[in-house]
Amino acid sequence: MDCDEVSRFLDAYLDGELDGTARPEVQKHLDSCPDCRKEADRIAGFSSLVRETLPMYKAPAELKAKIRASLREASVPESHWLFRLRRPLMYAAAILVLGFGLASAFRTYAPNRNQELISQAIANHACSLMVDHLVDVTSSDRHIVRPWFNGKLDYSPPVADLAQEGYTLVGGRIDMLDKRPVAAIVYRRGSQVINVFVWPVVNGKIDFDVQSDRGYHFCGWNQAGLNYFCISAATAEDIEKFEDEFRDHVNL
Amino acid sequence: MGDERRQFDEIFLPHLDAAYNLARWIVQNDQDAQDVVQEAYIRAFKGFHGFRGGNGRAWLLTIVRNAAYTWFNKRLSDQKWVPYVEEKHAEIISIDQSATENRMEKQKEDLRGALERLPPEFREVIILYEIEGLSYKELALSLGVPLGTVMSRLSRARQRLREEFAQVKTRRAANGL
Repeated sequence: MDCDEVSRFLDAYLDGELDGTARPEVQKHLDSCPDCRKEADRIAGFSSLVRETLPMYKAPAELKAKIRASLREASVPESHWLFRLRRPLMYAAAILVLGFGLASAFRTYAPNRNQELISQAIANHACSLMVDHLVDVTSSDRHIVRPWFNGKLDYSPPVADLAQEGYTLVGGRIDMLDKRPVAAIVYRRGSQVINVFVWPVVNGKIDFDVQSDRGYHFCGWNQAGLNYFCISAATAEDIEKFEDEFRDHVNL
Repeated sequence: MGDERRQFDEIFLPHLDAAYNLARWIVQNDQDAQDVVQEAYIRAFKGFHGFRGGNGRAWLLTIVRNAAYTWFNKRLSDQKWVPYVEEKHAEIISIDQSATENRMEKQKEDLRGALERLPPEFREVIILYEIEGLSYKELALSLGVPLGTVMSRLSRARQRLREEFAQVKTRRAANGL
Protein backbone atom coordinates (compact mmCIF):
# COMPACT_ATOMS: atom_id res chain seq x y z
CA MET A 1 0.00 0.00 0.00
CA ASP A 2 1.17 3.52 -0.73
CA CYS A 3 0.36 6.68 1.25
CA ASP A 4 -2.72 7.47 -0.87
CA GLU A 5 -4.26 4.08 -0.31
CA VAL A 6 -3.41 4.11 3.39
CA SER A 7 -5.05 7.50 3.83
CA ARG A 8 -8.33 6.00 2.61
CA PHE A 9 -8.23 3.35 5.33
CA LEU A 10 -6.60 5.32 8.09
CA ASP A 11 -9.75 6.45 9.92
CA ALA A 12 -11.25 2.98 9.88
CA TYR A 13 -7.92 1.54 11.01
CA LEU A 14 -7.72 3.93 13.95
CA ASP A 15 -11.35 3.29 14.85
CA GLY A 16 -10.63 -0.44 15.03
CA GLU A 17 -13.12 -1.01 12.21
CA LEU A 18 -10.70 -2.32 9.62
CA ASP A 19 -10.65 -6.07 9.19
CA GLY A 20 -9.18 -8.63 6.87
CA THR A 21 -6.00 -8.21 4.95
CA ALA A 22 -6.09 -4.41 4.90
CA ARG A 23 -5.35 -4.10 8.61
CA PRO A 24 -1.84 -5.64 8.64
CA GLU A 25 -1.00 -3.79 5.45
CA VAL A 26 -1.86 -0.41 6.95
CA GLN A 27 0.08 -1.38 10.05
CA LYS A 28 3.09 -2.31 7.95
CA HIS A 29 2.98 0.96 6.06
CA LEU A 30 2.67 3.03 9.26
CA ASP A 31 5.72 1.29 10.71
CA SER A 32 7.81 2.54 7.85
CA CYS A 33 6.22 5.95 7.02
CA PRO A 34 6.67 8.83 9.48
CA ASP A 35 4.37 11.14 7.45
CA CYS A 36 1.43 8.77 7.66
CA ARG A 37 2.17 8.16 11.34
CA LYS A 38 1.98 11.87 11.93
CA GLU A 39 -1.33 12.06 10.07
CA ALA A 40 -2.65 9.13 12.13
CA ASP A 41 -1.75 10.97 15.33
CA ARG A 42 -3.52 14.07 14.07
CA ILE A 43 -6.68 12.14 13.24
CA ALA A 44 -6.72 10.34 16.57
CA GLY A 45 -5.95 13.51 18.51
CA PHE A 46 -8.66 15.49 16.78
CA SER A 47 -11.17 12.70 17.24
CA SER A 48 -10.64 12.69 20.98
CA LEU A 49 -10.80 16.48 21.07
CA VAL A 50 -14.21 16.26 19.40
CA ARG A 51 -15.43 13.66 21.87
CA GLU A 52 -14.26 15.62 24.85
CA THR A 53 -15.22 19.15 23.90
CA LEU A 54 -18.09 19.07 21.45
CA PRO A 55 -21.04 20.66 23.24
CA MET A 56 -24.08 18.43 23.63
CA TYR A 57 -27.57 19.82 23.54
CA LYS A 58 -29.80 18.66 26.36
CA ALA A 59 -33.46 18.12 25.64
CA PRO A 60 -35.56 20.94 27.12
CA ALA A 61 -37.71 19.82 30.06
CA GLU A 62 -40.98 20.54 28.29
CA LEU A 63 -40.10 18.20 25.42
CA LYS A 64 -40.61 15.07 27.49
CA ALA A 65 -44.08 16.19 28.52
CA LYS A 66 -44.93 17.04 24.91
CA ILE A 67 -43.78 13.62 23.72
CA ARG A 68 -45.73 11.90 26.47
CA ALA A 69 -48.86 13.78 25.48
CA SER A 70 -48.53 12.84 21.83
CA LEU A 71 -47.73 9.22 22.70
CA ARG A 72 -50.88 9.10 24.81
CA GLU A 73 -52.81 10.30 21.81
CA ALA A 74 -51.07 7.84 19.50
CA SER A 75 -51.66 4.88 21.81
CA VAL A 76 -55.41 5.39 21.98
CA PRO A 77 -56.61 2.48 19.87
CA GLU A 78 -58.17 4.74 17.26
CA SER A 79 -59.04 4.59 13.59
CA HIS A 80 -55.86 2.62 12.95
CA TRP A 81 -57.32 -0.81 13.52
CA LEU A 82 -60.94 0.19 13.22
CA PHE A 83 -60.06 1.33 9.77
CA ARG A 84 -58.72 -2.04 8.78
CA LEU A 85 -61.70 -3.81 10.22
CA ARG A 86 -64.06 -1.65 8.28
CA ARG A 87 -62.98 -2.92 4.91
CA PRO A 88 -63.98 -6.55 4.88
CA LEU A 89 -67.42 -6.59 6.41
CA MET A 90 -67.27 -10.30 6.95
CA TYR A 91 -64.22 -10.01 9.10
CA ALA A 92 -65.93 -7.29 11.04
CA ALA A 93 -68.85 -9.55 11.78
CA ALA A 94 -66.59 -12.43 12.70
CA ILE A 95 -64.51 -10.25 14.97
CA LEU A 96 -67.61 -8.87 16.61
CA VAL A 97 -68.69 -12.36 17.53
CA LEU A 98 -65.21 -13.20 18.70
CA GLY A 99 -65.13 -9.93 20.59
CA PHE A 100 -68.27 -10.82 22.53
CA GLY A 101 -66.81 -14.20 23.29
CA LEU A 102 -63.59 -12.70 24.57
CA ALA A 103 -65.38 -10.03 26.53
CA SER A 104 -67.51 -12.54 28.38
CA ALA A 105 -64.49 -14.77 28.97
CA PHE A 106 -62.58 -11.78 30.29
CA ARG A 107 -65.51 -10.88 32.51
CA THR A 108 -65.63 -14.37 33.97
CA TYR A 109 -61.96 -14.77 34.67
CA ALA A 110 -59.91 -11.66 35.01
CA PRO A 111 -61.58 -8.86 36.83
CA ASN A 112 -63.16 -10.61 39.80
CA ARG A 113 -60.17 -9.82 41.90
CA ASN A 114 -59.79 -6.45 40.23
CA GLN A 115 -63.42 -5.60 40.92
CA GLU A 116 -63.05 -6.41 44.57
CA LEU A 117 -59.81 -4.48 44.69
CA ILE A 118 -61.30 -1.48 42.93
CA SER A 119 -64.32 -1.34 45.25
CA GLN A 120 -62.05 -1.53 48.24
CA ALA A 121 -59.71 1.13 46.86
CA ILE A 122 -62.62 3.45 46.09
CA ALA A 123 -63.92 2.98 49.59
CA ASN A 124 -60.48 3.70 51.01
CA HIS A 125 -60.10 6.79 48.89
CA ALA A 126 -63.57 8.12 49.74
CA CYS A 127 -63.03 7.34 53.39
CA SER A 128 -59.71 9.14 53.46
CA LEU A 129 -61.47 12.26 52.22
CA MET A 130 -64.54 12.15 54.42
CA VAL A 131 -63.16 11.25 57.78
CA ASP A 132 -60.32 13.36 58.99
CA HIS A 133 -57.88 10.61 58.22
CA LEU A 134 -56.12 11.59 55.04
CA VAL A 135 -52.64 10.95 56.38
CA ASP A 136 -50.93 9.46 59.41
CA VAL A 137 -47.71 11.26 58.68
CA THR A 138 -47.88 14.76 57.28
CA SER A 139 -44.92 15.92 55.30
CA SER A 140 -44.07 17.14 51.83
CA ASP A 141 -40.61 15.66 52.26
CA ARG A 142 -40.31 12.15 50.85
CA HIS A 143 -37.32 11.55 53.10
CA ILE A 144 -39.70 11.80 56.04
CA VAL A 145 -42.65 9.96 54.50
CA ARG A 146 -40.72 6.96 53.25
CA PRO A 147 -38.91 6.07 56.50
CA TRP A 148 -42.21 6.50 58.36
CA PHE A 149 -43.45 3.30 56.67
CA ASN A 150 -40.46 1.33 57.92
CA GLY A 151 -41.42 -1.02 60.67
CA LYS A 152 -45.11 -0.61 59.88
CA LEU A 153 -44.88 -2.58 56.64
CA ASP A 154 -42.68 -5.46 55.50
CA TYR A 155 -41.61 -3.56 52.38
CA SER A 156 -40.45 -0.08 51.59
CA PRO A 157 -42.72 1.81 49.19
CA PRO A 158 -41.03 4.31 46.89
CA VAL A 159 -42.21 7.86 47.54
CA ALA A 160 -41.75 10.12 44.54
CA ASP A 161 -41.11 13.82 44.81
CA LEU A 162 -43.39 15.32 42.17
CA ALA A 163 -43.36 18.92 43.34
CA GLN A 164 -41.80 20.05 40.08
CA GLU A 165 -44.58 18.35 38.16
CA GLY A 166 -47.19 20.20 40.22
CA TYR A 167 -48.16 17.50 42.72
CA THR A 168 -47.63 18.34 46.37
CA LEU A 169 -46.80 15.42 48.61
CA VAL A 170 -49.26 15.55 51.53
CA GLY A 171 -48.06 12.51 53.46
CA GLY A 172 -48.72 8.83 53.98
CA ARG A 173 -50.92 6.43 55.88
CA ILE A 174 -51.58 2.73 56.20
CA ASP A 175 -54.74 1.26 54.67
CA MET A 176 -56.15 -2.21 54.13
CA LEU A 177 -56.32 -3.43 50.54
CA ASP A 178 -55.98 -6.75 48.75
CA LYS A 179 -56.37 -8.42 52.17
CA ARG A 180 -53.30 -6.79 53.65
CA PRO A 181 -52.00 -3.53 55.06
CA VAL A 182 -50.71 -1.31 52.27
CA ALA A 183 -48.97 2.03 52.00
CA ALA A 184 -51.12 4.94 50.87
CA ILE A 185 -49.15 7.89 49.57
CA VAL A 186 -51.16 11.06 49.24
CA TYR A 187 -50.62 13.89 46.79
CA ARG A 188 -52.57 17.01 46.12
CA ARG A 189 -52.92 18.98 42.95
CA GLY A 190 -55.14 22.04 43.26
CA SER A 191 -58.28 20.86 44.98
CA GLN A 192 -57.80 17.22 43.94
CA VAL A 193 -56.43 14.58 46.28
CA ILE A 194 -54.66 11.61 44.74
CA ASN A 195 -54.18 8.40 46.72
CA VAL A 196 -51.50 5.99 45.55
CA PHE A 197 -51.69 2.54 47.12
CA VAL A 198 -48.50 0.51 46.98
CA TRP A 199 -48.08 -3.12 47.99
CA PRO A 200 -46.11 -6.22 46.98
CA VAL A 201 -47.51 -8.40 44.21
CA VAL A 202 -47.79 -11.53 46.41
CA ASN A 203 -51.52 -11.99 45.68
CA GLY A 204 -50.99 -11.33 41.98
CA LYS A 205 -50.03 -8.44 39.75
CA ILE A 206 -52.47 -5.76 38.77
CA ASP A 207 -52.40 -3.92 35.48
CA PHE A 208 -55.20 -1.96 33.92
CA ASP A 209 -55.74 1.29 32.06
CA VAL A 210 -57.64 4.21 33.46
CA GLN A 211 -61.22 3.34 34.37
CA SER A 212 -63.93 5.27 36.04
CA ASP A 213 -66.47 4.37 38.67
CA ARG A 214 -68.61 6.41 41.05
CA GLY A 215 -67.05 9.63 39.82
CA TYR A 216 -63.47 8.53 40.41
CA HIS A 217 -60.77 7.71 37.92
CA PHE A 218 -58.15 5.13 38.70
CA CYS A 219 -55.54 2.91 37.14
CA GLY A 220 -53.24 0.16 38.31
CA TRP A 221 -49.89 -1.15 37.28
CA ASN A 222 -46.97 -3.11 38.65
CA GLN A 223 -43.34 -2.29 38.65
CA ALA A 224 -40.36 -4.02 40.23
CA GLY A 225 -42.43 -6.41 42.35
CA LEU A 226 -44.87 -3.81 43.66
CA ASN A 227 -48.47 -3.10 42.69
CA TYR A 228 -49.52 0.51 42.30
CA PHE A 229 -53.07 1.75 42.31
CA CYS A 230 -53.76 5.43 41.96
CA ILE A 231 -57.17 7.03 42.33
CA SER A 232 -58.62 10.51 42.32
CA ALA A 233 -61.66 12.49 41.31
CA ALA A 234 -59.48 14.20 38.70
CA THR A 235 -60.05 13.56 34.98
CA ALA A 236 -58.93 10.38 33.22
CA GLU A 237 -56.27 12.38 31.43
CA ASP A 238 -54.94 13.79 34.68
CA ILE A 239 -54.68 10.32 36.15
CA GLU A 240 -52.78 9.06 33.09
CA LYS A 241 -50.44 11.97 33.36
CA PHE A 242 -49.92 11.34 37.04
CA GLU A 243 -49.17 7.67 36.34
CA ASP A 244 -46.57 8.70 33.76
CA GLU A 245 -44.86 11.07 36.15
CA PHE A 246 -44.99 8.71 39.08
CA ARG A 247 -43.63 5.77 37.09
CA ASP A 248 -40.93 7.95 35.72
CA HIS A 249 -39.77 8.99 39.16
CA VAL A 250 -39.88 5.47 40.52
CA ASN A 251 -37.70 4.45 37.60
CA LEU A 252 -35.03 6.92 38.58
CA MET B 1 -51.31 2.64 30.18
CA GLY B 2 -50.93 -0.35 27.86
CA ASP B 3 -48.06 -2.77 28.08
CA GLU B 4 -46.71 -1.73 24.72
CA ARG B 5 -46.62 1.92 25.68
CA ARG B 6 -44.90 1.07 28.95
CA GLN B 7 -42.21 -1.01 27.25
CA PHE B 8 -41.74 1.69 24.69
CA ASP B 9 -41.28 4.35 27.37
CA GLU B 10 -38.80 2.24 29.26
CA ILE B 11 -36.66 1.56 26.20
CA PHE B 12 -36.78 4.90 24.44
CA LEU B 13 -37.43 7.76 26.85
CA PRO B 14 -33.95 7.43 28.41
CA HIS B 15 -32.50 8.31 24.98
CA LEU B 16 -34.35 11.60 24.75
CA ASP B 17 -31.22 13.72 25.22
CA ALA B 18 -29.36 11.81 22.52
CA ALA B 19 -32.33 12.15 20.17
CA TYR B 20 -32.60 15.86 20.81
CA ASN B 21 -28.86 16.43 20.45
CA LEU B 22 -28.83 14.73 17.06
CA ALA B 23 -31.91 16.58 15.81
CA ARG B 24 -30.54 19.86 17.13
CA TRP B 25 -27.30 19.38 15.26
CA ILE B 26 -29.04 18.45 12.03
CA VAL B 27 -31.75 21.12 11.92
CA GLN B 28 -29.78 23.74 13.85
CA ASN B 29 -32.48 25.31 15.97
CA ASP B 30 -34.35 24.42 19.12
CA GLN B 31 -37.97 24.66 18.05
CA ASP B 32 -37.58 22.59 14.90
CA ALA B 33 -35.41 20.09 16.73
CA GLN B 34 -38.20 19.63 19.30
CA ASP B 35 -40.76 19.11 16.54
CA VAL B 36 -38.49 16.61 14.81
CA VAL B 37 -37.90 14.63 18.00
CA GLN B 38 -41.59 14.61 18.83
CA GLU B 39 -42.41 13.38 15.35
CA ALA B 40 -39.67 10.76 15.62
CA TYR B 41 -41.05 9.37 18.89
CA ILE B 42 -44.50 9.03 17.35
CA ARG B 43 -43.02 7.29 14.31
CA ALA B 44 -40.99 5.04 16.57
CA PHE B 45 -44.05 4.15 18.61
CA LYS B 46 -46.08 3.34 15.51
CA GLY B 47 -43.25 1.17 14.22
CA PHE B 48 -42.49 -0.34 17.61
CA HIS B 49 -43.69 -3.81 16.63
CA GLY B 50 -40.94 -3.75 13.97
CA PHE B 51 -38.29 -3.24 16.64
CA ARG B 52 -36.48 -6.53 17.13
CA GLY B 53 -34.58 -5.65 20.26
CA GLY B 54 -30.89 -4.85 20.05
CA ASN B 55 -29.59 -1.33 20.11
CA GLY B 56 -32.66 0.79 20.89
CA ARG B 57 -30.60 3.94 20.86
CA ALA B 58 -29.33 3.34 17.33
CA TRP B 59 -32.83 2.39 16.20
CA LEU B 60 -34.32 5.57 17.64
CA LEU B 61 -31.54 7.78 16.28
CA THR B 62 -32.15 6.40 12.80
CA ILE B 63 -35.77 7.46 13.06
CA VAL B 64 -34.78 10.87 14.41
CA ARG B 65 -32.45 11.30 11.50
CA ASN B 66 -35.11 10.36 8.97
CA ALA B 67 -37.60 12.70 10.61
CA ALA B 68 -35.00 15.48 10.44
CA TYR B 69 -34.58 14.93 6.72
CA THR B 70 -38.32 14.93 6.17
CA TRP B 71 -38.28 18.28 7.90
CA PHE B 72 -35.39 19.44 5.70
CA ASN B 73 -37.16 18.49 2.51
CA LYS B 74 -40.32 20.21 3.62
CA ARG B 75 -38.31 23.28 4.46
CA LEU B 76 -36.65 23.21 1.05
CA SER B 77 -39.94 22.83 -0.79
CA ASP B 78 -41.42 25.65 1.28
CA GLN B 79 -38.58 27.81 0.01
CA LYS B 80 -38.24 29.33 3.44
CA TRP B 81 -34.92 27.66 3.96
CA VAL B 82 -32.13 30.20 4.30
CA PRO B 83 -28.96 28.96 2.66
CA TYR B 84 -25.73 29.09 4.51
CA VAL B 85 -24.30 32.60 4.58
CA GLU B 86 -20.65 33.04 5.39
CA GLU B 87 -20.96 36.54 6.83
CA LYS B 88 -23.80 35.75 9.15
CA HIS B 89 -22.03 32.77 10.63
CA ALA B 90 -18.79 34.63 11.03
CA GLU B 91 -20.65 37.29 12.93
CA ILE B 92 -22.27 34.85 15.31
CA ILE B 93 -18.94 33.28 16.06
CA SER B 94 -17.28 36.58 16.89
CA ILE B 95 -20.15 37.51 19.22
CA ASP B 96 -19.87 34.20 21.00
CA GLN B 97 -16.15 34.65 21.32
CA SER B 98 -16.39 37.81 23.34
CA ALA B 99 -18.57 36.00 25.85
CA THR B 100 -16.24 33.07 26.34
CA GLU B 101 -13.39 33.34 28.73
CA ASN B 102 -11.07 30.44 29.15
CA ARG B 103 -9.32 28.36 26.58
CA MET B 104 -11.54 25.33 26.97
CA GLU B 105 -14.67 27.40 26.42
CA LYS B 106 -13.12 28.99 23.35
CA GLN B 107 -12.24 25.61 21.98
CA LYS B 108 -15.78 24.45 22.57
CA GLU B 109 -17.15 27.44 20.73
CA ASP B 110 -14.69 27.01 17.88
CA LEU B 111 -15.63 23.40 17.52
CA ARG B 112 -19.31 24.20 17.59
CA GLY B 113 -18.78 26.88 14.97
CA ALA B 114 -16.75 24.53 12.82
CA LEU B 115 -19.30 21.74 12.98
CA GLU B 116 -22.11 24.15 12.17
CA ARG B 117 -20.34 24.95 8.93
CA LEU B 118 -20.30 21.38 7.69
CA PRO B 119 -23.07 20.07 5.48
CA PRO B 120 -25.68 18.03 7.37
CA GLU B 121 -24.49 14.64 6.10
CA PHE B 122 -21.10 15.34 7.68
CA ARG B 123 -22.56 16.79 10.86
CA GLU B 124 -24.73 13.76 11.48
CA VAL B 125 -21.96 11.24 10.91
CA ILE B 126 -19.75 13.09 13.41
CA ILE B 127 -22.51 13.11 16.04
CA LEU B 128 -23.50 9.51 15.46
CA TYR B 129 -19.96 8.18 15.58
CA GLU B 130 -18.01 10.44 17.92
CA ILE B 131 -20.78 11.29 20.37
CA GLU B 132 -23.24 8.42 20.18
CA GLY B 133 -20.61 5.77 19.58
CA LEU B 134 -22.44 3.86 16.86
CA SER B 135 -20.28 1.26 15.14
CA TYR B 136 -19.58 1.46 11.40
CA LYS B 137 -22.12 -1.30 10.86
CA GLU B 138 -24.77 0.55 12.82
CA LEU B 139 -23.90 3.72 10.92
CA ALA B 140 -24.38 1.90 7.62
CA LEU B 141 -27.85 0.74 8.73
CA SER B 142 -28.73 4.10 10.15
CA LEU B 143 -27.63 6.13 7.14
CA GLY B 144 -28.78 3.52 4.65
CA VAL B 145 -25.44 3.40 2.84
CA PRO B 146 -22.81 0.68 2.27
CA LEU B 147 -19.99 0.20 4.74
CA GLY B 148 -17.45 1.62 2.28
CA THR B 149 -19.44 4.86 2.12
CA VAL B 150 -19.51 5.06 5.92
CA MET B 151 -15.72 4.78 5.94
CA SER B 152 -15.14 7.49 3.40
CA ARG B 153 -17.85 9.79 4.69
CA LEU B 154 -16.63 9.71 8.27
CA SER B 155 -13.07 10.22 7.08
CA ARG B 156 -14.04 13.20 4.95
CA ALA B 157 -16.25 14.63 7.67
CA ARG B 158 -13.39 14.56 10.16
CA GLN B 159 -11.03 16.13 7.69
CA ARG B 160 -13.47 18.91 6.82
CA LEU B 161 -14.16 19.52 10.49
CA ARG B 162 -10.46 19.79 11.20
CA GLU B 163 -10.05 22.30 8.39
CA GLU B 164 -13.02 24.39 9.50
CA PHE B 165 -11.78 24.24 13.06
CA ALA B 166 -8.37 25.54 11.98
CA GLN B 167 -10.03 28.33 9.98
CA VAL B 168 -12.26 29.41 12.85
CA LYS B 169 -9.22 29.53 15.11
CA THR B 170 -7.24 31.54 12.57
CA ARG B 171 -10.10 33.99 12.20
CA ARG B 172 -10.26 34.43 15.93
CA ALA B 173 -6.51 35.04 16.08
CA ALA B 174 -6.86 37.64 13.32
CA ASN B 175 -9.58 39.38 15.33
CA GLY B 176 -7.20 39.46 18.23
CA LEU B 177 -9.55 37.58 20.55
